[in-house]
Amino acid sequence: MSELTANHFLVLSAALFIIGMMGVLTRRNVLVIFMCVELMFNAVNVSFIGFAWEQNSLVGQTFALFIIAVAAAEAVVGLGIIMALSRRLDTVDIDKVRELRE
Amino acid sequence: MANWLFLIPLAPLAAAVINFLFGRWYIRDRAHWLAILGVAAAFVLSVAAFAQVAGDGEAISQHLYTWIPAGDFQIPVALTVDQLTAVMLVVVTGVGLLVHIYSVGYMHGDPGFYRFFSYLPLFVFSMLMLVLANNYLLLFVFWEAVGLCSFLLIGFWYRRRSAAQAAKKAFVVNRVGDFGFGLGVMLIFVNLGTLEYTGVFEGVASLPQGTVTLIALLLFTGAIGKSAQIPLFVWLPDAMEGPTPVSALIHAATMVTAGIFMVARSWAIFAASPDAMLVVAIIGAATAFVAATIGLTQYDIKKVIAYSTVSQLGYMAFALGVGAWAAAIFHLMTHAFFKGLLFLGAGSVIHGMHDEQDMRHMGGLKKYMPVTYWTFLIGAAANAGIVPFAGFWSKDEIIVGAWVGGRPIIAIVGLIAALFTSLYMFRVVFLTFHGEERFDRHHVKPHESPAVMTIPLLILSAGAVLAGFVGFPPENGAFHHFLEPVFSGHGAEAHHVSTATTLTFGAISTVIALAGLGLAYAAYIRGSLNPATIAARLGPLYQLAYRRWYFDEIYETVIVHPLYRLSVWLWRVVDVQIIDGTVNGVAALVSFTAQRWRRVQTGLVANYALAIALGTVIIVGVYLIVGSNLFQ
Amino acid sequence: MSAEVLVFDILGAVAVLAAAGVVLARKPVHSALSLVVSFVNVAAIYVILRAEFLAAAQIIVYTGAILVLVLFVIMLVHPEDLPEFHGGRPIQRVLALILGLVLLGEVLAAILTRTVVGQPGPWSEQAVQAVGGNVQALGQVLYSGYVLPIQATALLLLVATIGALVLARPDSPRVRRVARDTATISLGHPRGADGANGVELPALPPVAGDRIKPETGERELVMAKSGDDFLDQPVWGERRRS
Repeated sequence: MSELTANHFLVLSAALFIIGMMGVLTRRNVLVIFMCVELMFNAVNVSFIGFAWEQNSLVGQTFALFIIAVAAAEAVVGLGIIMALSRRLDTVDIDKVRELRE
Repeated sequence: MANWLFLIPLAPLAAAVINFLFGRWYIRDRAHWLAILGVAAAFVLSVAAFAQVAGDGEAISQHLYTWIPAGDFQIPVALTVDQLTAVMLVVVTGVGLLVHIYSVGYMHGDPGFYRFFSYLPLFVFSMLMLVLANNYLLLFVFWEAVGLCSFLLIGFWYRRRSAAQAAKKAFVVNRVGDFGFGLGVMLIFVNLGTLEYTGVFEGVASLPQGTVTLIALLLFTGAIGKSAQIPLFVWLPDAMEGPTPVSALIHAATMVTAGIFMVARSWAIFAASPDAMLVVAIIGAATAFVAATIGLTQYDIKKVIAYSTVSQLGYMAFALGVGAWAAAIFHLMTHAFFKGLLFLGAGSVIHGMHDEQDMRHMGGLKKYMPVTYWTFLIGAAANAGIVPFAGFWSKDEIIVGAWVGGRPIIAIVGLIAALFTSLYMFRVVFLTFHGEERFDRHHVKPHESPAVMTIPLLILSAGAVLAGFVGFPPENGAFHHFLEPVFSGHGAEAHHVSTATTLTFGAISTVIALAGLGLAYAAYIRGSLNPATIAARLGPLYQLAYRRWYFDEIYETVIVHPLYRLSVWLWRVVDVQIIDGTVNGVAALVSFTAQRWRRVQTGLVANYALAIALGTVIIVGVYLIVGSNLFQ
Repeated sequence: MSAEVLVFDILGAVAVLAAAGVVLARKPVHSALSLVVSFVNVAAIYVILRAEFLAAAQIIVYTGAILVLVLFVIMLVHPEDLPEFHGGRPIQRVLALILGLVLLGEVLAAILTRTVVGQPGPWSEQAVQAVGGNVQALGQVLYSGYVLPIQATALLLLVATIGALVLARPDSPRVRRVARDTATISLGHPRGADGANGVELPALPPVAGDRIKPETGERELVMAKSGDDFLDQPVWGERRRS
């Protein structure tokens, strides 16, 4: 492990992704879940940029850029939903939000 | 070519369609004008076509369009008028026109007036297309169409249970025959690759004998159904549930003769198969005889005439069977006149007697309705074969045809049936118009029918008197010469009948007819013979005839009842338990499963996220197993 | 072990620990701050990966914009609506743990057994330097091959902005009435809309003045004297419990 290889970044990416996933699966606060989703986005970005680095290509970086843009859009809408949720249902606990059932 | 031929069927069709679409709200009790106009136009055009065919001696035709162009399978909609069709055209439109006029009086005030004058031209249209068709498929289509019109008109008073049942019976019984007809048409196509008459008749000679016989018998099956031969004649007497003009037009004059027409049209096929001819002759003779015996015993005036129709159709059939083609068509024509007359006369009687049909409650009507009486008498005489009325010439010719055609037994059966014919015809006349008045004079006031009903009677009676003379002298009349081009070629040989034979049979027929008349006179006027005693003495034989030879009972037991049981079984077990059970079971299973699976939709986002994660794990796992070299 | 690897290891470890902090922190604010740490570390790793522009974008967009937004929302959401959620869903927790470990194993297996296929791209370190650096190179790639996606992204951001506006707008009276009818029980009207559906209504909680202290839930309810009162107030009440 004397040289830095793409595998380093991939392992980091996997770790971040799975931590984020665990957060999504276990937390009940919608805000925290949202943050965990951002974490997962980030993990994917690390993968993309790692591959781009390994392959001497800028396509991966381009992808990452688009992901950041989409994440920004997602953040705006997601936070708007959280606001509406809190105003309408007086809670941000997803275990109390069962509207999807009906 | 004659580009106007299509107008003949179009005129009644237009009347039918307009009456049907607008009759209920706009035309109502004026519907008859349109119908009569349409049929009259068809009549005039038919006469024109007849004149042209008679003048040139050539068939005229019009190709409308190609209906089914499928490779070698070409079915054109084309109209052809040759001599045979020309005769049928004039008969159909002529009798049809008179029946239409008559119906104006008979159906007056009926709530279904417009409907009646929509169905009736529709029938005329279908019948015209049937006779005008130049190929078997078109013939078959309109064969079914007249069956449909017959169904509609028998069940015209559909609120009456018996009428609805009779319509159903007629339809179902006809289906049996039509099934055979359809098979015959298919067999023709399979063997010859064409359905056009000319092509078929030319190709018949090249077919093996067995095939031709099979085709001929299958076609005749259709005729058995439509023309009410044994064993499928049971529907025709029941069909009298329809309005009397319908009985006259459809179930006496025209539609029931479609079978005769069809066999005559296909004579080249039948002529090529002696076996089929024999079957036709035997069935025809048996029908003539059986129906005549039944006619002797019935009391309903329309039933008697109905059985008379069956009997006369039997005559036509055995004329076909012995190769007396022209005689069959001749009888078809004269029969159209006198049987139409008889039915319309019976309708006039029923109308005047306030819907009484039982002859036991009539009698002595002569002085109340003289026009009806005299015209009915002419019709009866024509039917009975009294010289010189129309029926004599044609019936005599059939019997002679059977004799010289090498079927003496059939000729004798025909003569016996002729005796019965005369007897039952004059029995009707005497029971209805002569003798004491057996009706309730306080409530029933017999009256003559209006002019709109009697004028058609008069015209038809003129036909019943005169129509026979177109076939005079026998075997050599104008009628025979006219039809000669149709029934020649294809290896046909004309009958050679000596004058002596003609005269002999003429004399025998006359004697027999007069004997029938005398018997009826003795039994019902003079009273020197007591019908009841004779019936009692004949015992089982009388019962046999009275019960219509138990045909209905046999069908009831052998066919209807088992079918009914089978249907009930299919309904109760197959349909309700198996089919419905399967369907409901599937639905219940889905519902049950869905109710269980519904629990999956907890509405909890966390659970959905868990499912997504699980899916991710599985998909990645699958990729690992399949795509990576981890396990290689 | 080169210095590069050492730096990467440190940065990576901090990023992972911070990420774990996001998941494990009780308070959302702590989670958000942990997330900032994680993001900054990842941005540093981007620099190692010669993605200087993305590193900048990461800090500006994520830590600068999104996380500030998150903190705003945390402040905007009623503090009583932000309880310290913990506990509950034990089965899900175990399942999530198992799934996470399995996925980690799978991904590690995939990483360790992978082989590189395909030709290296044209943007070696020298090539990037030749055009003037990462930003210039990325700009060339983006605006030559990805013009249309860039435009689409712009449109997406616009739509997202409008969507956020709509979502964050105060409810109109009509919407509020609908929300009241569907999502609340009118405590002042025991035979109100919900009662008509045959739903068993909870017993009225003790009333003090026009304030009601509900047995469950966190917020005081205002006793409505008539249906019109609801239109003048925020949507009070709580979710129907089935």
